Amino acid sequence: MAEKILMVDNISKRFGGLQATDKVSFDVRAGEILGIIGPNGAGKSTLFNLITGFYPIDEGTITYHGERIDGLTPDQICHKGITRTFQVAKPFPGLTIADNILVACLPKADKVSDARAKVDEILKIVSLDKKAGSLGADLTTLERKRLELGKALATNPEILLLDEVMTGLKPKEMDDMMELIKELKKTKTIVIVEHVMRVIMNISDRIIVLDHGQKIAEGLPREIAENPLVIEAYLGRGAKNA
Amino acid sequence: MEMLLQIIASGLLLGGIYALLSVGLNLIFGVIKIVNLAHGDFLMMGMYATFFLFTLKDINPYVSVLIIFPAFVLVGVLIFRFIIKPLLGKAETEVNTIIATAGLGFVLQNLALMLWKSDFRAIETNLTGKSYEFAGIMLSAGRTWAFVICIAIALILYYILMKTKVGTHIRAVSQDTDAATLMGINVNRIYTLTFAAGIALVGAAGAIITPTFYVYPTVGLYFNTMAFIIVVLGGLGSFTGALIGGLLIGLVESFAGVMASSELAQVFSLLIFLFILFVKPEGIMGKGARV
Amino acid sequence: MKQNKSLLILAILTVALLAVYFLPLVIFAKHILILTLFYAFLGTGWNLMCGYAGRLSLGHAAFAAVGAYTSIFLFKEFNLTPWLGMFVGGGLAVLVMLLIAYPSFRFGLKGPYFTLASIAVAEIVHNLLIYGRDFTGGSLGLSLPYVPTSLAMFQFDGKELYYLVILAFWLLAVFLTIKMERTRYYLEAIREDEDAAAALGISVNKNLIAAACISAFLVAVGGTFYGQYFRYIDPYSIAGFSLSLNMALVVVIGGSGTIFGPTIGAFVLIPLTEILRMSLGSQYPGLHLFLYGILLVVCIIYLPKGIASLPGIIRARNDKKARQLDQGSEGVL
Repeated sequence: MAEKILMVDNISKRFGGLQATDKVSFDVRAGEILGIIGPNGAGKSTLFNLITGFYPIDEGTITYHGERIDGLTPDQICHKGITRTFQVAKPFPGLTIADNILVACLPKADKVSDARAKVDEILKIVSLDKKAGSLGADLTTLERKRLELGKALATNPEILLLDEVMTGLKPKEMDDMMELIKELKKTKTIVIVEHVMRVIMNISDRIIVLDHGQKIAEGLPREIAENPLVIEAYLGRGAKNA
Repeated sequence: MEMLLQIIASGLLLGGIYALLSVGLNLIFGVIKIVNLAHGDFLMMGMYATFFLFTLKDINPYVSVLIIFPAFVLVGVLIFRFIIKPLLGKAETEVNTIIATAGLGFVLQNLALMLWKSDFRAIETNLTGKSYEFAGIMLSAGRTWAFVICIAIALILYYILMKTKVGTHIRAVSQDTDAATLMGINVNRIYTLTFAAGIALVGAAGAIITPTFYVYPTVGLYFNTMAFIIVVLGGLGSFTGALIGGLLIGLVESFAGVMASSELAQVFSLLIFLFILFVKPEGIMGKGARV
Repeated sequence: MKQNKSLLILAILTVALLAVYFLPLVIFAKHILILTLFYAFLGTGWNLMCGYAGRLSLGHAAFAAVGAYTSIFLFKEFNLTPWLGMFVGGGLAVLVMLLIAYPSFRFGLKGPYFTLASIAVAEIVHNLLIYGRDFTGGSLGLSLPYVPTSLAMFQFDGKELYYLVILAFWLLAVFLTIKMERTRYYLEAIREDEDAAAALGISVNKNLIAAACISAFLVAVGGTFYGQYFRYIDPYSIAGFSLSLNMALVVVIGGSGTIFGPTIGAFVLIPLTEILRMSLGSQYPGLHLFLYGILLVVCIIYLPKGIASLPGIIRARNDKKARQLDQGSEGVL
């Protein structure tokens, strides 16, 4: 079995009256694509915020390559090797696409010229090379998603946390994105939060399922698809709302 | 003991004036979400208008409120239309509106300087120098009337905000512009109305305080600082907060002015201000989140 | 702009400005040049924090005051050369900035709240200067004891050497800005989206505080220069809102968040308004400030990114026109 590089152990987070994350434990193995699914409000994005230090955890530990990373700031965690994208893409609106990528390359580059050299390469990977001069504010949804991914890639992470990259994309665009993610798997470990089932089932090596802040299932895609708890979490909710 | 009551009374009188001043700023800050650094300078303009209406046309300052209020509504509408509105709705709106209003304030101050020079002006009404005695305390007549009128206006405003349709619309816009739009409220009209009202209120405040304060081009700066301190202290978007904050600051100043020099009193108020900004920018009553 | 291009422009400007030194100019013209470079210097310092990082401070006069009062006080009391006094003043200004910046950034004070805080701080300094009249001369200010031309004591008869000094300061400030290329990008990212910047490995607090402290130091140095040049300071000139606003004005009009924006702004504004002040100032006191205000309002509405953004806007408009022409000719087919 591949090495466990990120270990999340019993982490919890409460916001006022809401237990957003409730004693969640899982690990991430080198070179895999780990999918995280769950109904709306299950706490998926919160999980990313906790792992990358945007919110402090109330209890539990997060260990990366044997080192505790809970309590570190987001920029420190990025330097360690974990980079996340945001569910609603956050381009730097007043900067050009090229500068957006450049900024992302800088923290891990020794010299500014080294960073500049990487920009074109990243732009090509996310197919934004033709729009290098456009401003971050003037992008379409798809371009924003691509830029978001490009910026994350520019930080050369070991683990890439993708937060609903597929939202708002058309089927063909989703296929392209899936191909891209599968390419990235060759050099990185990926944790992907998604709603679109066919994407998750297609690319994930393993899947964990969250509901109401708790992990209710973990396993291979086809195990998850047949897991009655998972079905109830999704369909049960749908039946109530119908 | 009498001394203490005297200080409290003076403080409250001053506080009432501050309260009216801040209520206008609070409206603008709370509803349109912009900082109007020129607020105090509109006060100054109101004071000059009152001064000239009195010296040239013999109009009692408390009566000139009736002239100044509508005039300043018009001014407010124009300024909103041509200066504020073009800046709204963009990424740098906050920064740009601060700069724009800072520039506007500068324009007003120096306009006053150019037209009327830097001499201190004062008016003498039948109330000047008179005091009322109440339970052994001396209350300056001018300040007492200012207090009464300010509180009256504040109460009218409160009624409008709470009980009328327009007031409800204003409160809706200040809480959630998107939801308000969806409800069919013309946000732009509410903004214009609020801004104009804020300007008119502070112009009126200027009229009311002219009998008891010197008039000069930079008189607005001091009141401006006070108004911001009060608005933040009382809580952005909270009407009652601005009222209470005004009275509080009036008291603080009254006490501090007795115990230390006026500069230290200012420093004290400013330090409180900074403290609130750092620790609880929602102020005493406010629910607004940190920017 | 790439570094080399910027450095080249800086070199050309410096040579040009040095050449001016040798021109036979009237005293008033020399004064205007000095004042222009003074504001270009202050603006460049202000720009680091407020332009690039986007944290609008309208209270930077506080730091100029700390610098000026410190160096003059140390000179009067201990005969300390203002060159050293300048560094002490700068150091003190950095301390003051840290006192405010650290809690501000830690508590996430942003936008108008930050600006209000900065104004409050400047007001506090202003009031303390008046209150501490035993040390500061209160409202009457401090006069600098006259010393005939002495490089060591930072005083010169005649304006030429002051010009060279402020030229050197300006050169250093702009050079520093150019050299801080990485930090500039970080600050811009922080200004545009703090969370996104942090997620990419940029330490928000560290960079903000660094920019803040450097800007405070530079402006404090400017304060010392002001004291040495005018030989008189008081709380209204050096610790007043006017100075803070002027610093902002020059940068906003020239181009906030650009290397040469503050300089452009200074060269556009200062000569214009000084000439106005001299010719019409006695008749209409405050006229030049009145025009400042109007210019600022007009500029922020129609050209919010300043004069430096003009080339970009023109280029974008030409691109758009070219694209329309292309499309037009295709349509005709």
